[in-house]
Amino acid sequence: MNTRPVLEATDLKIAYGGNVALDVPRIAVRERELVGVVGANGAGKSTLVNGLLGWSRGSPKVSGKIMLDGRDISNLPPHERVRSGLLLIPEGKLVFAQMSVEENLAASVDVPTDGQRRRQYSIDEIYALFPRLYERRHHLGSQLSGGERQMLGIARALRLSPRALLLDEPSIGLAPRLVSTVLETVRSLVDSGLTVLLVEQNVRAAIEVVDRLVLIERGRIIAEGPASEMRGDPRIAEAYLGAHVA
Amino acid sequence: MNFTQQLVNGIVLGHAYALIAIGWTVLLGVARLVNFGHGQMYMLGAFVTWYGVSRLELPYFVAIPLAMLAGVAVGYVMQRVMLQLTLKQDLVSIMIVTLGFGYVLHGAAALFFGSTGQILETPFSTKDIYWGDLWFTYQDIAIVIAAILFFAALKYVIDRTRIGRLARMVAEDPQLAQLAGVNVRRVYLGVFAFEGAAVALAAALVAPRTPILTSMGFDEVIITFVVVVLGGIGSVTGSYVAGLALGLFTAFFGAFVSPAYATAAAFAVLIAVLVIRPGGLAVSPGGRRA
Repeated sequence: MNTRPVLEATDLKIAYGGNVALDVPRIAVRERELVGVVGANGAGKSTLVNGLLGWSRGSPKVSGKIMLDGRDISNLPPHERVRSGLLLIPEGKLVFAQMSVEENLAASVDVPTDGQRRRQYSIDEIYALFPRLYERRHHLGSQLSGGERQMLGIARALRLSPRALLLDEPSIGLAPRLVSTVLETVRSLVDSGLTVLLVEQNVRAAIEVVDRLVLIERGRIIAEGPASEMRGDPRIAEAYLGAHVA
Repeated sequence: MNFTQQLVNGIVLGHAYALIAIGWTVLLGVARLVNFGHGQMYMLGAFVTWYGVSRLELPYFVAIPLAMLAGVAVGYVMQRVMLQLTLKQDLVSIMIVTLGFGYVLHGAAALFFGSTGQILETPFSTKDIYWGDLWFTYQDIAIVIAAILFFAALKYVIDRTRIGRLARMVAEDPQLAQLAGVNVRRVYLGVFAFEGAAVALAAALVAPRTPILTSMGFDEVIITFVVVVLGGIGSVTGSYVAGLALGLFTAFFGAFVSPAYATAAAFAVLIAVLVIRPGGLAVSPGGRRA
């Protein structure tokens, strides 16, 4: 695995009306790495990924340095960070409900084509990856099930040539079988070259697919390490995996 | 009353209403914004066309794009001034600012063009057509054709092109659109510029039917409001149908009852429609606009 970070944030602070919601000295995701960010509700997981993209439905104050492929993107507006290759699949509303699956998949911007570094998935590749979307290609986003929307959300991001993908709570609202399917799909995308930062509340499912795990509490990173090691960390094992540690 | 004559009047009037309203339809549909300076933008379009034709002695077909350019400039400036309000979707402030902008346009136009009424004569407005008992002008035909072409082109652009898809993305969820790499600010600027151009085109075509005054604009805002709401906010097809229906209603109500109460009656119809179908005429039960 290449050790060069594709995405790196330092001194990232996000505050809402004077209240600091996130204070992260450093977080990095390396090439072809799947990093899972876990923590309780309100720990600051979504705030982290939204902050990395400079995107929010509120008006937070964000400071810190965010580098994508060695380029400082801290001062770019969200749409330009997207064009640079940093893609976010948010929690909740993932797709345009009044557009068909096909329209959702039509790339909305002209993505840069700088060869091997920015791979754009073709429509055929998307349908091969998600055959269900092909079957539902003429349906509106509003007519899709939760799992199908999640697939479409990921597929939409792939169409925009992601360099790094930020995935916020993909398991929310999905049946357990679908959670595994979605996370295994994410794993296979990483294995084929993508770099992903995955925010997930379902630690049990996430730990099965991620390379590294980052535990956040009250907006601060309190533990991080390889998934295999973190599995035995008492803070993870007791609180999230239901194991009793003597 | 000649029924066929009223039918012709209604069709022409209806297409004129639809043409005047189309800019606001897109503005409201894409940016969820209102522009109470719309009427004064119409007035400005009419006067720039008149100035081009009468004072600069430009051909009518050159004066029209000149008016549209002025409309684009006004729409662009208006949106630049209000950008932060737009992004926050602060509708109350936007209403007040656009209303104020309308008054500024009115004052500036009175200063530049004078306060006396003018007649905008075009190569079409003075040529009458008599067909049996029917009477209309070439300008009327131009209005109907232009409206049909404009609406068809707009419907195609919105439904079938990349620009239209971007506009629909922003209309549905501007923040989600950002995540697709869409520059939402640019789309908002484009929509305002489009509104300016569209209302100027409408003015250049419709204003020759009546004398023009720099104090006009209020009626046009009211008509636009009725058409946009009746058609289902943001619906292009709905605006066309609503404009046509309003034109026919106004023509027949004016002939059967009294032109003096036509606007009041139109509002009564609007209230009735909104009580029965709160989303307007064009919204399907599933909520998708035609």
